[in-house]
Amino acid sequence: MDEGLSFEQALKRLETITEALQKGGMNLEEMLALFEEGAALAKTCHERLNKAELKLSEVQTMFEKDEESEESA
Amino acid sequence: MQVYTVARITGYLRDILESDALLADIWISGEISNMSESSAGHLYFTLKDKTSQMRCVLFNRKKLKIDIENGLAVVAHGSISIYEVSGAVQLYVDMIQPTGLGVLNMEFERLKAKLEEEGLFEPSRKRPLPAFPEKIGIVTSPGGAVLHDITNIISRRYPVVELVLAPTTVQGESAVPGIINALNALNDRGDIDLIIIARGGGSIEDLWAFNDEKVARAIYSSKTPVISGVGHDTDFTIADFVADKRAPTPSAAAELAVPHRGEIETRLQSYIATMTASLSNSIERNCQHVDELYATVSNQVNNGISVNTEKLRGQQIKLDSLSPLATLERGYALVQSHANGEVISNISQVERGNMITVQVSDGQFNSRVTGAKKGLQAWMKDFPSNKH
Repeated sequence: MDEGLSFEQALKRLETITEALQKGGMNLEEMLALFEEGAALAKTCHERLNKAELKLSEVQTMFEKDEESEESA
Repeated sequence: MQVYTVARITGYLRDILESDALLADIWISGEISNMSESSAGHLYFTLKDKTSQMRCVLFNRKKLKIDIENGLAVVAHGSISIYEVSGAVQLYVDMIQPTGLGVLNMEFERLKAKLEEEGLFEPSRKRPLPAFPEKIGIVTSPGGAVLHDITNIISRRYPVVELVLAPTTVQGESAVPGIINALNALNDRGDIDLIIIARGGGSIEDLWAFNDEKVARAIYSSKTPVISGVGHDTDFTIADFVADKRAPTPSAAAELAVPHRGEIETRLQSYIATMTASLSNSIERNCQHVDELYATVSNQVNNGISVNTEKLRGQQIKLDSLSPLATLERGYALVQSHANGEVISNISQVERGNMITVQVSDGQFNSRVTGAKKGLQAWMKDFPSNKH
């Protein structure tokens, strides 16, 4: 799958491919090509979901660490 | 010695009274007396206690949420100024509550009514949350269990996202400017799809920053949709009313923010099943078509019926286009074992070093297997939903 695709775009493309295959009206070669693309997309989505690790970053605010001592959760 | 006019002095007093922060936003308790209503709907009364009294005016009676009458003990909110025509210092009332409510509750009700009237809670302006957010901003305290819970839940449900923490205190004096600053910092980045503003449970005093007017306005003006998750599910804050979506708790906010991995897997499985079925159907239809044509042709020949040569010719052309030969013409090849002629359809049938015969459109050639590996199709077969 094109790494440039977001997860949502990949899922959307997969949906489009599935609908096109379901609708038919194309020759076997075209179907096979779409099927291969769809299968690759499904595989990448599945892998992304299962291999991704949550990224956590922080944006700079006026918060200072010593303010934290008075906090309760 | 200077002599002033009455107007100069009442004007001077008015300036002093109106520039005083306490008098501009004040709650006063007392008993209602001398109430009268003007034809224009203005309400005039006196608030009194054992030793003193103060003139009060309420310009729009309709704003009053409760019925009042002489003798009723109330708490009135408003600002104090001087009515220069009569020289009387009076309270310009904008809200009246029965006594007995805590002062924070009264302030909550007052601000809620005010912002509601301004349209800050309008359902029509609530924005939809993105179905698949990529970056989620979190406005909360960096050390608390809340951040830990949110991170855990999102990591379990949908780890494809990036969480961007905007740390702030969430109670005490610095909470209001801190929360506003954190919201602005996330909005200024321009790449955040969704903001969660969260705090764990506590008393009404602990949660008070989330009932602040400036915080409410900051949430309202956020360019990015905001989910609020403040306190327990029984706590309602002004922030909840103004947010695009209210979650009953911080954990619930995390669940609302992202889709569930399992639901997406189900969708993927259904796509694969549909794609596979569509492809198989199409191949079957092609095979059936070939069978039918063969049957027609052989019937016509076997029965010795005089056939329309041209029609038969047409069918032959059609037949050719669907026969394996035509497939070979398009660049596909038929692979057989050199040893026993067996058709090779999967890689388990060959081993490195085996001789194979490859049929192409106009002949065949021999070849030796130098390696084999599983392809995407094998992965498809192993996908959970395709196992029978």
